[in-house]
Amino acid sequence: MTFPVPCPNCGPREVLEFSYGGEARPHPGPGANFEELLRYLYLRVNADGPGAEWWFHRDGCRRWFVATRDTRTNRFLEHGAVPAEA
Amino acid sequence: MSAERLPEDGPLQAIDRRHPIRLTVDGRAVEAFAGDTVGSAMAAARIEIVGRSFKYHRPRGLFCMAGACANCLVTIDDVPNLRACTTPVREGMRVRRQNGWPSVDRDLLRVLDRLSFLLPPGFYYKLGHRPRWAWPLVEPIVRRVAGLGRPPTAPDHAPRDRISLHADVVVVGAGPAGLAAAGEAARAGARTLVLEQEAEPGGELAIELGIVDVREPELAGLAGYRLAARLVDEAVRAGAEILVGTVTIGIFDGPVVAATDGQALYRVRARRVVLAPGAIEQPVVFAGNDLPGVMLSGAARRLLHRFRIRPGRRPVVFAASLHGHRIADELRAAGAEVTLVAPDPAAPPMPDVDVLPNTTVVAAAGRRRVEQVVVAPVDGGRRRSLPCDALVVAGPLAPATVLPAMAGAEIVFDPQVAAFLPGALPPELTVAGAAAGMTTVDSAIADGRLAGLTAALGGRPSIPDLDRRAVAGRRSLPPTRDAAGDGKRFVCLCMDVTDAEIRWAVAEGFDSMELLKRYTTVTMGPCQGKSCLLPSVRACARATGRDEASTGLTTARPPWTPVELGTFASDRLVPRKETPMHEAHSELGATFMWAGEWRRPLSYGSPEEEVRAVRDAAGVIDVSTLGKFVVRGPDALTFLERLYPVRLGDLEPGRLRYSVMCNDQGAILDDGTVCRLGDDEFFVTTTTGNAETVDRWMGWWATAWGLDVRILNVTGGYAAVGLAGPRAREILARLTEADVRNDALRYLRAAKIAVAGVPALVLRLGFVGELSFEIHVPSGFGRHLWDAVLEAGTGLGLRPFGIEAQRVLRLEKQHILVGQDTDAESDPYEVGLGWMVHLDKPDFLGRQALAELAARDPRERLVGFTADPAPVPPEGAAVVREGTWAGRVTSCRRSPTLGRVIGLAWVPADLARDGEVIEISFDGARVHATVHLPPFYDPEGLRVRS
Repeated sequence: MTFPVPCPNCGPREVLEFSYGGEARPHPGPGANFEELLRYLYLRVNADGPGAEWWFHRDGCRRWFVATRDTRTNRFLEHGAVPAEA
Repeated sequence: MSAERLPEDGPLQAIDRRHPIRLTVDGRAVEAFAGDTVGSAMAAARIEIVGRSFKYHRPRGLFCMAGACANCLVTIDDVPNLRACTTPVREGMRVRRQNGWPSVDRDLLRVLDRLSFLLPPGFYYKLGHRPRWAWPLVEPIVRRVAGLGRPPTAPDHAPRDRISLHADVVVVGAGPAGLAAAGEAARAGARTLVLEQEAEPGGELAIELGIVDVREPELAGLAGYRLAARLVDEAVRAGAEILVGTVTIGIFDGPVVAATDGQALYRVRARRVVLAPGAIEQPVVFAGNDLPGVMLSGAARRLLHRFRIRPGRRPVVFAASLHGHRIADELRAAGAEVTLVAPDPAAPPMPDVDVLPNTTVVAAAGRRRVEQVVVAPVDGGRRRSLPCDALVVAGPLAPATVLPAMAGAEIVFDPQVAAFLPGALPPELTVAGAAAGMTTVDSAIADGRLAGLTAALGGRPSIPDLDRRAVAGRRSLPPTRDAAGDGKRFVCLCMDVTDAEIRWAVAEGFDSMELLKRYTTVTMGPCQGKSCLLPSVRACARATGRDEASTGLTTARPPWTPVELGTFASDRLVPRKETPMHEAHSELGATFMWAGEWRRPLSYGSPEEEVRAVRDAAGVIDVSTLGKFVVRGPDALTFLERLYPVRLGDLEPGRLRYSVMCNDQGAILDDGTVCRLGDDEFFVTTTTGNAETVDRWMGWWATAWGLDVRILNVTGGYAAVGLAGPRAREILARLTEADVRNDALRYLRAAKIAVAGVPALVLRLGFVGELSFEIHVPSGFGRHLWDAVLEAGTGLGLRPFGIEAQRVLRLEKQHILVGQDTDAESDPYEVGLGWMVHLDKPDFLGRQALAELAARDPRERLVGFTADPAPVPPEGAAVVREGTWAGRVTSCRRSPTLGRVIGLAWVPADLARDGEVIEISFDGARVHATVHLPPFYDPEGLRVRS
């Protein structure tokens, strides 16, 4: 299985060059209580549709970025970008 | 005996009579010609039973000759389940027929055919499960008796390859539609690749002798095979590349087309895909429709034209589709006495052929092969028998929708064409030709041209002439009637499923195609539904009183054609890294081991002597493989403070600290040292195995936190040696003018000095528990440094040491190895490193989890233990308590320094007390060991500070 992933540095490249970094969700931060931490660590949205995800251009420029992928089609809705704050 | 090789050559023959080839079938010598397949060679040698069926052990013969069914699976040179009909012969090939005991010709298990009432659909869910102890006895018998060839036991040394190809347009299938599409796409400037599973392009057209009606002036008036050659020529001239003998396995996201030619696995990346897999001739269901001698018209035509084998002297042709007359005429021309059974009441008479209009086949009968055909008027009435030596079934053509379905096409029943056809398609996909419902060569060519342009241009052009011709070809097919008749009527030849069994399964409640498939295994055999999808859908529709449209199809999944496992397991290139000192190690007689992708010296002969040298004098080890990073920038300190649980803010330039690195769960990811080089610059080391993981981890957090920090991975840029032992300083002093005395370069301090004349970063550490210097130099100086250190140690007892000695040395100090002594859940408190977690730091990764863990008592702890010198428990040995598993040994060695067995083990927290006796079990042996919490060697740590 393969599909193009939009690297902000290199443009669209085969997914085989990338590592998936999981759903992009805000870190609960140092003030979070234990339950918020557990929620962050173990609960996934697992969207049937578009969702923001971390991608790492492992065999390319080695940049991390967030991009929105539709899990039903493996098509990216927007170009990858580095989040202002995650 | 009926099939025979004709003496005359034909215009379409694949065989070359000047090149005889000898092979054996079950030990019997068989003569064939170059160009023959194993199947045609067997037919010419009059071997009619090519195998025994999956479940009932019925005799089976050649049926499709096109790789679409599974009747002819044979074992060739110990590789099982290869299709005889498409596998070319090779000199000396050893062919064995499958699934007969003691032999395929005299198979005693054919008794199962009589006992079939004991083997209803899903019998393996019903039989032998009560009492419960019975199934383990029954299962091996079922497995032995059922099924296909035996897997080979010898290692597979066949050459394999994995090839990536790229194209703008990939065309699957080189029939008229595929070739027309390829020619058109290539002419429009697209890089075009055609994948064709047969040995020759052209599809059915390539074995067509008659003139084909095509409405293009330059293609008109040609015999089919010449037209095919013209289309091939046109495509190749336009620049398309055609790979023959290459079967498509599946279409994946991308789109990527996976294909194989039996040796290489092709991964073809395409911008657009044109699927033109054609239509597949389907069997007709009647009693005895699986007897040897019953074959599809495509098989008869291939035998006749490609291999010059006439399937019978007195064949009956069953014209269940429009193609009946053609094959009847071709057989007649080859000198056969042909009877044509045609359900069509208006079937025209043919010269020298006995035509029986308004008649259908009810059954094929015979003991080991077809000997007579029972026919009856279509609307019932008196049956009569026709003696024959072959029954050629011109079955209905089902558009091959499996590949389009895999590629994401919606498959719908088209009432106009009376077939399942691709409906809505994903944008990168086009389906053309017979697979899209075209029933004439002219329409297939027109449709193919449109598809090629669509793929090359990215949108379907409107070309009225082509559109008209394509639409004209979408004619309705006459309905096929499956006849009745007494005996087994096979819907699925691969898995031996009859229409009675389908009815039975529906009566039991398995009344949808997906359920029927799983319960009866219909369509799940090696043909992958090619030859049984339509018959099984029709049988299901009849049994449930629905129509085909509402019955629907089963889900299409790769592989489209069975693929040898070795094709997927082909060799991949494995990275291999060597340090700059690798040759020096070889010269010193080192034995090497893999450490991730690195080759590292395990020892230089005697790990024990290497340990003693480090303890008594000095040793040197190549630690170039350590992960090494320079972290730099205004936010470098903030970044590392958040990354490590240890406090770093008070770390002055020139000092370093050991720390673990934790994830958000508070589990240990890695350990290493952080050395502050300047206000905004740090040198960070990681373990050898985790360098890549830590690189990603740091890059991720630097991005997520949006900090102004640069992370430079200098793992390969620096070589490093560890110089350790009581005489290490003496040796270092010989190599540098810098002051390396204890008060100048203290424990956990760093210095940028020249060593052996080259710039070096020297860190004072103590992993092995002695006075140690870790000397980092640019990797180009690695070999020079190594040689210089060894030379400086001359006369001082210096020895090089390897990983094995290092493991013993660090174990004597109870220093953990992340990944060996810890797992994905181990936290710093459990392994006795809680002291380095600074929970008073406001924010660092894992802080919340670690705070939670600090407040709880761990259930298990990692502790040291000692035991008598023999035996040495292996790593992974169980710690047992009251007869049950309670923990495990993670590291264990005999210590040359202490003369005892020492180790680390996870034990229940209440046993983690000094002096507690634990029991270790391995290989049936029990060993008592004593928990020992402080380091075994130099517990005060005086030596590392000396």
